[in-house]
Amino acid sequence: MPGFSGGGVGGGVGGPAPPRPFRPSRYVPVSAATTFLVGSTTLFFCFTCPWLSEYFSSVIPIYNAVIFLFTLANFCMATFMDPGVFPRAEEDEDKEDDFRAPLYKTVEIKGIQVRMKWCSTCRFYRPPRCSHCSVCDNCVEDFDHHCPWVNNCIGRRNYRYFFLFLLSLTTHIVDVFGFGLVYVLHHRQQLDTPHAAVTMAVMCVAGLFFVPVAGLTGFHMVLVARGRTTNEQVTGKFRGGVNPFTNGCLRNISHVLCSSQAPRYLGRWRSAQAVDVQPPFLRPPLTEAQLEAKVLDNGIQNDRHSTRSKSSLDQMESQSADAEPPPPPKPDLRYPGLPRADTEESSLLTEAPPTPSMYKYRPAFSSPGRNHTALTHPNKMIRGESLDSPSPSILHSSRQPSYRSEPSSLDGATVLGGGVGARRVGGERGEGPGGPGGTAGGVSGGMSGYSLTGRSYTSYPSSLVLSTGGSRSSSLRSAHTTHNPLATLHSEGTTDTSYKSLANQTPRNGSLSYDSLLTPSESPEFESAAHELSPLKPRAPFPSATITGQSEVALSSSTPLQGYTSPFLSAQIAQQREGQLLQGSATFSSPHRAYLRAVSPPPLSSSGPPETQHLLKHNQDSSFRALRNPSSSSSSPGARSPEPPVSPPPRGLSLSKSQSYTGEAGPQHKPRPAGGGSVLGGGGAGGGQQAPQSTSRLVLANHNTSKPGGGVKKVTGVGGTTYEISV
Amino acid sequence: MAETHSLQDMRQQAAVAAKVFIQRDYTNGTVCQFQTKFPSELETRIDKQQFEETVRTLNNLYAEAEKLGSQSYIEGCLACLTAYTIFLCMETHYEKVLKKIAKYIQEQNDKIYAPRGLLLTDPIERGLRVIEIAIFEDRSLTR
Repeated sequence: MPGFSGGGVGGGVGGPAPPRPFRPSRYVPVSAATTFLVGSTTLFFCFTCPWLSEYFSSVIPIYNAVIFLFTLANFCMATFMDPGVFPRAEEDEDKEDDFRAPLYKTVEIKGIQVRMKWCSTCRFYRPPRCSHCSVCDNCVEDFDHHCPWVNNCIGRRNYRYFFLFLLSLTTHIVDVFGFGLVYVLHHRQQLDTPHAAVTMAVMCVAGLFFVPVAGLTGFHMVLVARGRTTNEQVTGKFRGGVNPFTNGCLRNISHVLCSSQAPRYLGRWRSAQAVDVQPPFLRPPLTEAQLEAKVLDNGIQNDRHSTRSKSSLDQMESQSADAEPPPPPKPDLRYPGLPRADTEESSLLTEAPPTPSMYKYRPAFSSPGRNHTALTHPNKMIRGESLDSPSPSILHSSRQPSYRSEPSSLDGATVLGGGVGARRVGGERGEGPGGPGGTAGGVSGGMSGYSLTGRSYTSYPSSLVLSTGGSRSSSLRSAHTTHNPLATLHSEGTTDTSYKSLANQTPRNGSLSYDSLLTPSESPEFESAAHELSPLKPRAPFPSATITGQSEVALSSSTPLQGYTSPFLSAQIAQQREGQLLQGSATFSSPHRAYLRAVSPPPLSSSGPPETQHLLKHNQDSSFRALRNPSSSSSSPGARSPEPPVSPPPRGLSLSKSQSYTGEAGPQHKPRPAGGGSVLGGGGAGGGQQAPQSTSRLVLANHNTSKPGGGVKKVTGVGGTTYEISV
Repeated sequence: MAETHSLQDMRQQAAVAAKVFIQRDYTNGTVCQFQTKFPSELETRIDKQQFEETVRTLNNLYAEAEKLGSQSYIEGCLACLTAYTIFLCMETHYEKVLKKIAKYIQEQNDKIYAPRGLLLTDPIERGLRVIEIAIFEDRSLTR
C-alpha cells in the first residue's frame, strides 16, 4: 500500500510484501468517498457559503474550511500512511521452527494468557494485537480493521488519524447540513433557484451519510475509551473477561491521541554495518562445568547437563522463569547441513535433546513450494530428527533405524545451533536429567521457553514421536510433565495443538489412521504413509474444512464433549472461551491434541472425508483415551479400534499425526473473520483424563497438559477445528 | 600459531555461526520491551551482566520513546494545527529516540560485542519484534 509517513524514505529494510495484482475494484469505495466528500463540500462552498458569509459573517465559511481541511488531512493520513506493517521475517529467524513449532504461542500479559498465532505468510508469531490483513497481505501492528473507504488497513500508526477523520467528518457533516438548513429556511420562497437546489442536494447527501458515519464514530469512541481494537471487539476476544491492553479510559484516550507517532518498519534507511567482527574473540571466563561440557557428545549428556543446569539455574534470575539448563557450548564441529542454529523461539536453548517426533508443522502459507520441499525433503526432517536422537520425525518414523544411527554425527550440529529442531521441541534434554525432576523446574515460566524441559525421552522412543510436537508449548505446563515425560511436550502456550507447519497444509492422503497407529499390524502402513507424506501437495483446504466442520458438528453433538456445534459461532465463542479460560485456567488440553486428533481414518482408507471424520473422531477419542472409550460416535465408517498402545505405532502415530495435523491446520489457517482465533480442535477432552499408557502416552503426550480432574471445554473453531480447554 | 591464524582471518570477516533472537517481553502489554533473560548460547561468549545491561538500556530507551510526555503532546497538537505537514520537516520524538538507540547499538557493537564475536542487530529492522544477535564462529580457537 502506498506508504506515506513523516520520516524519510530510505533503502528498504526488512521484507516488504510482494507486489500484489492491481485490483481496481478495491479503489471504488475510496473513490466514492473522496468524490462525495470533496464534491459535496465544494458545492457547499460555492453555493451556500457566499450567502452565509454575507448574511451572518465570514467566520462561517472560514470555520467550515478549517473543519474541511482537517477532515481531508486526516483522510489522507488514514489512506496513505503505513498502518504499522511488519516486515516479513528473515529466513533464519524461523529456521528451526519449520516443522516443529506449534501454531500458537502463549504469552502472559498482565496476568492474562494471550495467544500469538504463527503467521505463515510473514513467518513469525504475531505479536499481541497484531493481525494479518488478507486484503493487504501484511501483518499489521495493533490491527484494527481494513477500511474500504480509505482502502487501507487501520493499525497502530494510523488509527489516530482514522479516529480523528471520523470525528471531523461527523462534525463536518453536521456543519454542512446545519448551514444548509439555515440557507434553505431563509430561502423558502426561492427554492427553485439553483443555489437552493444544490444546497438541498448537498443536505440530502450529508443527511444520508450522517447516520453511518456518526454510528461508526460513536462505536470508535467506545473502543478508544475501552482500549480495544475493532478486531478485538468484533471477534469478542474480551467479551467475557478482562482486556489486558487497557490502562484506564483516560490513558487509553491519551495513548490514541497524544502518543508519539509510531515508527515505520518498512522502507527504513538501513545503516551500513560498519562493525568489523574478527577473531580472536574475547571470552568470558569459563566455569568448570562449562569446560566439562565442551566435549562434544551426542546430546545424551546426563551429568553434565544437570550440573550445567544447576549452575545456570542459579545464575538465572532473569525474568523469565524458563530456567532451562543451557546447552553445552557449541563445539566447532558443525553439521554441514545445519547452517545455523537459530533460536528464534527459545533463547534458552537446550542442548540437543532427542527431539520427539511430534512436529509442529509450520508450512509457509505463501510459499507452498518451499514448505513443501521442506516438509517433504527427507534431509531436513532427518536433520531435525537427528537432533533429537530418539525421536523420529514424522517422516522418519518409518526410518527409525537409520535415524538412530544419525544422532551422533548430527549432535554436534544440534549443540551448535542449540539444536535447531530439538530446541523448539523444548529443550529436551533428552537423556539428561531424565525424568520429570530435572525439567519441571525448567519448564515453568518463560514464555519463550518452548523448550521442553529435558526429559529422558530415550526411554520412550515411541513416545518421543509425539512428544516433540508439543515441545514448544510444553514448557509452562510443566506440572503435567512430572508423571509423564511426554507431558512436558505439551505446548505450553498453545491451547490448540495445531502446528504451524500444518497450518497451511491441506489434508493429505488419509491413509494413516489413528487406529493403525496403535496397532502394530498397521505399521507397514506408516511406511507408506510416510511416503505419502513426502509428496505432499497442498490441496484446497476448504473441502476438508467443510467436511471437518460437518463432521465436527456431528461429532460434537454425539459426544459428551462440551462444545459448540456451529463452526462459525464456535470460533467466536472459542475466542470468548479462550479469553475466559485464559484467565481462568492456565492449562489447556495438550496442544498436541490437535494432531492427535487428526488421526486418521481406518487403515487403508485414504479418502479425505473419512480422514477428516477420523480426525474429528479422534478428537474426542484422544480425550477419552483414559477411558479407553472408543466413543467415536462420529460418522466415520471405519470403526476405530480401541487404542491399544503399542510401541511400534509411535512412528505411525507421528506420521498420522502430522498428517492429520496438516489437515486440520489447513482449513484453520485460512483467515476467517470470526475464526481469527480458532484453534485446532485439540483432540480429546481434558487432558487430565488420559491415563498414560504406553502408546497412548505418545498420543496423550499432549493431552496430559491439563490439570487432572479439570473440566474440559471443547471448543470448535471455524473450519471444524476443535480443541479442548480444561477449565 | 594462533596469531598467524588470526592474522589470516583478518582479511575476511568471520562467518556467522548461529543467531540468537531475543524476544519481546509482553508482560506489560504491547509496550516495547525485550526479555532480559540471558540466552544460553551466549554463555560462553559474553558476560551475563553485560548482556542484561544492554537489553535493559534498550528497554529504557524504548520506554522513553513511547512515553506520553509533554513532547509528544506538543508534537500532536502542532501536527493537527498544521494539517500534518509538520511531519515533512520535523522528526518525531520516536524517531529521535530511535536514532539514539541506533547509535547506542552501534557503540555497543563496537565496544563490547564485536570483540567477542557477536553482533547486535537493531530491532527496528525486524519490526521491533526481536533483537537478533549473530554469533560468529571462532576459528582461532580450537574447542
